[in-house]
Amino acid sequence: MNNALIIGQYVPGNSLVHKLDPRTKITLIFFFVFIVFLANNVLSYSILTLFALVSMVISRVPIRFIMKGLTPIWFLIVFTFILHIIVTKEGSVWLEIYSFQIYSGGVFQGIAISLRFFLLILVTSLLTLTTTPIEITDAIEDMLHPLKKVKFPVHELALMMSISLRFIPTLMQETDKISKAQASRGVDFRTGSIKDRAKAVVPLLIPLFVSAFKRAEELAMAMEARGYNGGEGRTKLRELKINARDIAVYLLFIAVIAGLLLTRGY
Amino acid sequence: MQSSKTQSFSLLKLIILALLGTISLVLFFINFPLPFLPTPYLKIDFSEVPALMAAFIFSPLAGVIVVAIKNILYLAIGGGEIIGVLANFLTGVLFIVPVALMYHKFKGVKSVISGLVTGTIVMALGMSVLNYFLILPAYGWFMGWEMTEQFKWFSVYAGILPFNLIKGIVVGLLFVPLFLKMRQWIEEKRASLV
Repeated sequence: MNNALIIGQYVPGNSLVHKLDPRTKITLIFFFVFIVFLANNVLSYSILTLFALVSMVISRVPIRFIMKGLTPIWFLIVFTFILHIIVTKEGSVWLEIYSFQIYSGGVFQGIAISLRFFLLILVTSLLTLTTTPIEITDAIEDMLHPLKKVKFPVHELALMMSISLRFIPTLMQETDKISKAQASRGVDFRTGSIKDRAKAVVPLLIPLFVSAFKRAEELAMAMEARGYNGGEGRTKLRELKINARDIAVYLLFIAVIAGLLLTRGY
Repeated sequence: MQSSKTQSFSLLKLIILALLGTISLVLFFINFPLPFLPTPYLKIDFSEVPALMAAFIFSPLAGVIVVAIKNILYLAIGGGEIIGVLANFLTGVLFIVPVALMYHKFKGVKSVISGLVTGTIVMALGMSVLNYFLILPAYGWFMGWEMTEQFKWFSVYAGILPFNLIKGIVVGLLFVPLFLKMRQWIEEKRASLV
């Protein structure tokens, strides 16, 4: 089975980007999604690109992992570029092929918008490349904390997510084991019509559900035996802490926003 | 004693939903596109089945929670982008809630089948509307495309609508035999857990 799923996209490392608080990373990416739309000329686009490339370089994630994350997107980026070249008819004519003309405005617009899209994907994938799913879950729990006031079960949601994450490898292994066992009894998952394939999944799912319930009962009992009683007063193994480097990165990010506001054309 | 019992039940319920969420995520990765549609980004998977299970044993809300866990974890492990994941979440909710409501009202195989038909129609129509007004424009905004009326109509008519109808039918084709085999088990779990 797909081995990459066990750890997701995460690439272990010890860089500054890896060590940043996950809440800092999520917050910055949230704002980055909006500030990419501020850029509208060469200078402001350069600032954005510089910011994204510097983050990429200091994360020390090997290029091939980043490119792997981008594979499904290349097609869209190229398509967007071509679409803008065809549709936008501004500026001077650069190239004429029979009756079809390519305008300078179209080329600029195509580059700008594909670049914007590329940077957006690059920066957002840096989050999952440098942050473990567990850290992201912890950060979500912490950031949703204010919702506790309106009785939103933040702790319960976080507990479910971390249990769920913990069992991804276990249940994948089990799925693999059951499907091999069923295949050895003659069940065919790979060929046949969609209807046949849907039916072949039934003998795979039944043992999976039954054993998941058994596991859940065992885990609940084990947690109770160790004195679990809800979120109140529970201490944490992994504490999130905002450090000096987080503050430095925030300041740098504010400088980037200021730079964009100063250089963009109005 | 009584209070500790209810505590343990709600903890067990949380853990069951978490594990069903994991199964849902694992099934989400085993997906396949429909070869005859012009939209390769629409893929069929069986991740709604564990959510239906949760919705049948507990409540429609439990089914929604399972779908939510699947989608949040998919984002957290870096599986996809947020608009697509949000669209997948809405698809799941629109499908599961009608089926579960029908089942809880009448029980029995007939209500499951009519629930699946209703769920499929609600999902297909709901996603067509949501795509036309929200999801496609959101993609257009991010990618700087001019979403023309024509393009949106084409995507909905040739992609979203038939895709969701077929998806509902395929999931139904799996779920009905599964339900027939697990009916007694579902009832038992329902009786002991709720």
